Amino acid sequence: MKVPLKWLEEFVSVDATVEQIARRLTVAGLEVENLERVRASFSGVVVARVLDVGKHPNADRLSLCQVDAGAAGRFSVVCGAPNVSRGMTAALATVGAKLGDEPELEAAVIRGIRSEGMLCSERELGLSQDHHGILSLPDDAPLGTPVADYLGLDDVVLDIAILANRGDALSILGVARDVAALFGVRLHAPRTRPLRVERHEGDGASSSFAVRMAAPEQCPRYAALKMTGVRVAPSPVWMRRRLELCGMRGLNNVVDATNYVMLEMGQPLHAFDLDRIAANTIVVRRAGSDREFVTLDNARRALEAGDLVIADPEKPLALAGVMGGLNSEVGLSTQTILLESAYFEPIAVAKTARRLGLRSEASYRFERGIDRAGQTAALMRVAELLKRYADARPEGAIADFEPRPAPVREIALDLNRMSALLGVETSAAEAKRRLVSLGASVRRGEARGTLKVIPPSWRSDLDEAADLAEEVARLSGLEEIPATLPARVFSYAPANREREFFRDTREVMLGAGFTEIDTLAFISAADNEKFAGIGHGEPLSVHNPLSEELREMRRSLAPGLLAALIFNLNRQATALHAFEIAKVFARVKGEVVERYHLGALSYGDYALSEIGRPGVKAGFFTLKGVAEAYLRALGVAERVRFKAPAPEHPLAFLHPGRSALILLSEEPIGYVGEFHPQDAMERGLAEQCTLCELDLQKLISYGLSPRPAIEPPPRFPAVRRDLALVLDREFPADMILKTIREIAPALLESVEVFDVYEGEAIAPGRKSVALALRYRATDRTLTDEEVNRTHAGLVEQARTRLGAELRQ
Amino acid sequence: MKEQLEEIRRRALDELTDGASDQQIEAVRVRVLGRSGELTEVMRGMREVPQAERPAIGQLVNQIKRELEERIEALKLRLRQGALERSLAEARLDVTLPGARVPRGRIHPVTQILERMLDIFVSMGFEVAMTRDVEDDFHNFEALNFPPDHPAREMQDTFLVGGGLLLRSHTSNGQIRVMEERKPPLAVVCPGRCYRRDELSVRASPMFTQIEGFMVDRVGRITMGHLKGVLIEFLRAFYGPETGVRFRSSYFPFTEPSAEVDIHCLLCKGAGCRVCKHTGWTEILGCGMIHPNVLRAVKLDPEEFQGFAFGFGVERPALLKLGVDDMRLFFENDLRFLAQFPSLAGGAA
Ligand SMILES: [Zn+2]
Repeated sequence: MKVPLKWLEEFVSVDATVEQIARRLTVAGLEVENLERVRASFSGVVVARVLDVGKHPNADRLSLCQVDAGAAGRFSVVCGAPNVSRGMTAALATVGAKLGDEPELEAAVIRGIRSEGMLCSERELGLSQDHHGILSLPDDAPLGTPVADYLGLDDVVLDIAILANRGDALSILGVARDVAALFGVRLHAPRTRPLRVERHEGDGASSSFAVRMAAPEQCPRYAALKMTGVRVAPSPVWMRRRLELCGMRGLNNVVDATNYVMLEMGQPLHAFDLDRIAANTIVVRRAGSDREFVTLDNARRALEAGDLVIADPEKPLALAGVMGGLNSEVGLSTQTILLESAYFEPIAVAKTARRLGLRSEASYRFERGIDRAGQTAALMRVAELLKRYADARPEGAIADFEPRPAPVREIALDLNRMSALLGVETSAAEAKRRLVSLGASVRRGEARGTLKVIPPSWRSDLDEAADLAEEVARLSGLEEIPATLPARVFSYAPANREREFFRDTREVMLGAGFTEIDTLAFISAADNEKFAGIGHGEPLSVHNPLSEELREMRRSLAPGLLAALIFNLNRQATALHAFEIAKVFARVKGEVVERYHLGALSYGDYALSEIGRPGVKAGFFTLKGVAEAYLRALGVAERVRFKAPAPEHPLAFLHPGRSALILLSEEPIGYVGEFHPQDAMERGLAEQCTLCELDLQKLISYGLSPRPAIEPPPRFPAVRRDLALVLDREFPADMILKTIREIAPALLESVEVFDVYEGEAIAPGRKSVALALRYRATDRTLTDEEVNRTHAGLVEQARTRLGAELRQ
Repeated sequence: MKEQLEEIRRRALDELTDGASDQQIEAVRVRVLGRSGELTEVMRGMREVPQAERPAIGQLVNQIKRELEERIEALKLRLRQGALERSLAEARLDVTLPGARVPRGRIHPVTQILERMLDIFVSMGFEVAMTRDVEDDFHNFEALNFPPDHPAREMQDTFLVGGGLLLRSHTSNGQIRVMEERKPPLAVVCPGRCYRRDELSVRASPMFTQIEGFMVDRVGRITMGHLKGVLIEFLRAFYGPETGVRFRSSYFPFTEPSAEVDIHCLLCKGAGCRVCKHTGWTEILGCGMIHPNVLRAVKLDPEEFQGFAFGFGVERPALLKLGVDDMRLFFENDLRFLAQFPSLAGGAA
């Protein structure tokens, strides 16, 4: 909402700078986003009367005028405008005047006649594009006054962001009301000559037109006034200037006057050419079977049955509260008009305006809620302007139809309750003063310390005591509320498990050299199909996505990690070790499921490279190692196993032979594997790219379950014996370990694979697996003989159960 | 015999010069002291020596043997010393070369800032609760007193996923979810991801992080004054103890009274600059006293309970704090950006 300061000052005068006013308004919820200083684009131009117009002796189309500029003097000027006439009041640029970017005006000799100045057109003054003739000023303009002052062209425009609940502030008067309340000064509302009003509860007719109220739910009140003898012409320049400062354009004196009153009072008005309305009858109804309608901007609009329209008995005339129609537009030939001033329900207007993408100044105001009782006052004001600037005369009374009167709102305000809410004491007198300054009527309630408040008709947002408390706080200033800390002693707040768990997870990944990334949860349907996650559910798709690339909610973190990899490789990175902790989404049996996952990607040089010695490159086993380290850190490693996926159910985006499912208590919770070579090739990946993903939702409960009892370190030494078994190449290592553990005599403490060998001295298709076995007793140092005997027994059993040969 | 022994001794000592090499020493040792060395040979010839002289000769042999062994030991020690000294001199490293690359990751700046903020709230007695991203209309809008025609409920602003569900447009659903489950007194912060239909750009992202916080207790125990106190405390803890804070009246459907909170522009410290449009202030969060209708929606009687709520985005303060001006940096994951953040707790914040 743009508010020219001079216009504002017509309603309220405050002893403060515009900056102070802006600051006060901002803190009170009318945020002044900008102060724009506007100036006339000229100087040295004064109001002057044309005393005489004579013919220029040497040019047919020029006239020689004698003008009186009051104290500035009398001048003789040559003028070429067709509209110059004796007695006219005009704008005289005197010698030395500056018009826009033109050089200073000098006295000139035009066709042999000296001209001591120039009578200016609107275009020369930068007021409009009009250059048909010179600017005509009202006859009462004081001669000699600088035109810039007379027209009030030097001004400051406050650009105010109006909050959604403050429809009342969408007018100069509304803002002035808040200024008056904030500074404790009087508001001077525009004074208009009252017109007679005929009230109707339902349908009705005045002497010259009729109104049928067929939709009181959407339109509880409709007031109208007929005016005759209208002379349609441009409106006065000061009015157009104000409209322009407020971001509107001048059209003609009728339309401009309705817009002017809307800006001033907040009540949108519409003028119909009454001669184009059938049967002089207005019908306020739903669109029903009407299918389309041509609005003022000459656009064909599709109607829906529920749209509220203003019609005559034959056709729609306007989209109520949104825009008028071409078929009843006021034009140059218009002589009789019907002025509409109505209250349309915000939802009704919002629906139509939004559906049509048609936001007008009127619909904006109706949507936010205008003064529920401001209709007739606005008609009186516009009638006065039209009388003065369009020679129009009201015919008959204002007809005011109100089938559904506004409910009376009386709010009980308990002052103790208000203090308890705000944390500051407010006296009854202070509260009353504040609320009255807003236009509320306030009286004492029955109970002590209570007030009964009837909010003003323009504040539809005030419904209950909390709303009034806000008004009192807002007007007193929020800075008046002392900042204090709550007195209550808080009980111990249990730590959030998820947050702690994610912190731990981050710590492990960080230590393993992985950098945390953050990616959008939206991916394409194709990616979601390919990266289907760990098997929970159908994709969750967005009905109104920003683009096809962002159509679905991810089921896996892999696509985001890969996108981050590609992004960095395109910027000359050669390695990336990244992880993300984030939600994935799916539909399972119709229910939406969201789960936290940990995703990790490892690519390129990983660790421990130094000058002259290459480091470790990322691959299946490095990332599996990170996963194992993480699972060990959580204390669940014992319950986890890595398993090659069944050949008939590979993970589509991973290398079928170099990927594993991760099982927790035999339930899949994730995967680790090398990115499928085909996909890697398509993405131009030069190095091995390995991915890992874990369902954290399943790990959270395990990770935080009680830990096994802690044992002291062993007191007696362990003895190591190695063993090399030769088996089929495909035989999985964890089966060997599992078997050995099963046959383990009590003395076997641990068994680990420390080497796998294929090649010379091993038959093709076979491999040698070297194992380290540690024996220990808890109560004594083992003797060599005892260990040898135990080991030999174990070796023999292992050999036969695994069908392996011993490698010597 | 004696002369012979003296001769062996002299020759050996002549050869065992200070400069003798390892091989020379070893050669002497083998020749003289070895199993079939010169001294052994002498001992073998002992039976030709008269009985009376034998002890003296024997003594002499042992004496020479000891003397040579000592000499050899001394020389060898000296050689080892020399080798060590040489190697100390030669085996110098260029200690300015880089060490082996021991991996260490980084924490995303938004996480660091979010964690820092949560730490402050936790230290002030708030607990942390996380709630759903996919929400229904009731928890995201209706219970929060959004009128049915509120623009935020429109398709163009909020992502819909069907079945009456949507991607939450703010973390305020946390208020409803928590209060449905538990009764006051409550002091809770709900961090989480939110979604709005904005293209990823310098200023906005379709997904972003918010923290919603609220405190509810019996009427009068949690006031607007407390809201101011708690938020000022938080903002000064996060932005620095000197930070100027201003409360401006505002409007949100779910609070009444509502306020917008500004802090002094971090760039000009309140003096006014281009970044703050010459106001000296930066809008940082929205807050207010929980609207009676919100309490009613979670079956709390507004005559009995009241509280405050606040909410703010994390990415924007993160940008302010880091002094960068592009939201996309957080979601592109450019290593050259991420690698600038320390990985230790509290590094960026
Ligand atoms: Zn600034």
